[in-house]
Amino acid sequence: MEMQFEKQSFGKRLASMLKVDFKRMFLSPLVYIMGGISLVLPILILVMTGLIPSTTIDPVTGMETTVETFTNVWQAIGSMGSAMSMDLTSMCNINLLFFLVAIFACIFVSDDFRSGYAKNLFTVRAKRIDYVLSKTIVCFVGAIAMFLLSFVGAMIGGAIAGLSFSTEGFGAGGVIACFISKIFISLIFVSIAILLGTVAKQKLWLSILCSLAAGMLLFTMIPMITPLSAGILNVIMCIAGGAIFAVGLGALSNLILKKTSLV
Amino acid sequence: MNAIEIRNLSKSFRELHAVDGLNMTVPVGAIYGFIGENGSGKSTTEKLICGLLVPNGGEIKLFGRDYTNQDVRAKIGVLIEQPGCFPNMSVWNNMMLQAINLSIKNPEEEVRKVLRIVRMEGSASNKFKNCSLGMKQRIGIAFALLGNPALLILDETINGLDADGMRIMREVLVDITKNYNCTVLISSHILGELEKIATHYGIVRGGKMIKEMTAGQLEEDCPTYVALQSKDMAKTKTLLKKKYTRVSEENEYIRVYDNVKADEIVNYLYKNNIFVTEIKTDKISLEEYYIDLMKEAK
Repeated sequence: MEMQFEKQSFGKRLASMLKVDFKRMFLSPLVYIMGGISLVLPILILVMTGLIPSTTIDPVTGMETTVETFTNVWQAIGSMGSAMSMDLTSMCNINLLFFLVAIFACIFVSDDFRSGYAKNLFTVRAKRIDYVLSKTIVCFVGAIAMFLLSFVGAMIGGAIAGLSFSTEGFGAGGVIACFISKIFISLIFVSIAILLGTVAKQKLWLSILCSLAAGMLLFTMIPMITPLSAGILNVIMCIAGGAIFAVGLGALSNLILKKTSLV
Repeated sequence: MNAIEIRNLSKSFRELHAVDGLNMTVPVGAIYGFIGENGSGKSTTEKLICGLLVPNGGEIKLFGRDYTNQDVRAKIGVLIEQPGCFPNMSVWNNMMLQAINLSIKNPEEEVRKVLRIVRMEGSASNKFKNCSLGMKQRIGIAFALLGNPALLILDETINGLDADGMRIMREVLVDITKNYNCTVLISSHILGELEKIATHYGIVRGGKMIKEMTAGQLEEDCPTYVALQSKDMAKTKTLLKKKYTRVSEENEYIRVYDNVKADEIVNYLYKNNIFVTEIKTDKISLEEYYIDLMKEAK
């Protein structure tokens, strides 16, 4: 006589996996540490760079050097120009969060393997896609929270540093479009980190190192794709890019989990 | 109906053939003692059944379905090596995560129930990393018991347990197989403990199953014998060999395996002026049987 087993539908499996991951995320100090860094980082950057004089004169040669510092609070969210620039304001702004998001996702995935919890998960879950999907969603939600906190931090830091809040030249819509675009680009970083996390498994250092290296390649392009003058096209492009990367790299992560040993 | 059915399973790690054409049949409701030397492929086989390793070849069926079937897999409880818990999280939170993972309807109640079974309800708020080895093993067992599993896979589970823990474990395993029709696959080196509960055995060597049997068959294969000591062991042995066909000396005792009563041997030796100092009737243990089988295999 055949034994009867309860049907495990995709929705049921994904819902329980998401519940596990969200509960785990909020129980872990990692998310609060990352949230704290996201909040404090822009405050520190805006206040500290405010102390740097915009022009310095070399006492020996007498040459004047101009340093591009923050003059407007929205520079902490995106670059003023649309051209690819590599100055302080376009590198040391909210873009730094992409690396933080990647580190967060790497730790989140690696902890499953390092603690041995992956054994519990994968024994009862034959479908690896549940795991990849849930991790992508949870890390993306974590990334959104980090970006929102960073936004708040930028406002606080800007107010402390006495920077201008003027949106002249790009408008409030541009700031919103730029911010949303960045959030969706973080999905690319999350997908890369999850893929590398599934490859490296217990080796957290390896996944972080590779994620940061991969992130560096994208990092230089971000100011160009998401300027403060961004429009709906930028948003659509970033949503599409994020979705394509999430689906493609997610499928690859799924394949790796299927074909490799999990312990 | 078999809970586990494995045919020609193989798994290699580069040059090493950890599992090499293994066949295995575990009937529903059995407590299957999985025995073998270190590196014989027990843990690898268990990991393959759980889907944690990818086999190179062969077939694994769980309750008549492919082992990747999601519906069946949701009813497997497992403890392989160390329990998989987050070290900085409390025992309770770790258990709750697994209860949610298993989609258990009343997770709090279920967690409380299994913690009570393994007598760990008082340590639920402890961080997992602060628990002793024995406590961790009990927590691992509680993990495996969550959600009334249809199949329980336990790898070296009883090794880290104290006497009380082993007794609890015995009681729990017997109870769940009898009352909940759960099937247990358990590997251990503590054969004496395994002998008390197992209904079936599988002995594996070099990644191959060398013998599968029921507890009844083991009983038949393990004859009773009379073991004795005397002041003149050499003469006693010579005399006994003249009368009985299966006589050997092991562990400072002379053993007579023929179907004979102890008083008959005492009388026979007494008549030949040999005084028996100690005599007992015993049975070949699983451990001895296993050692003999391993010697034969070598």
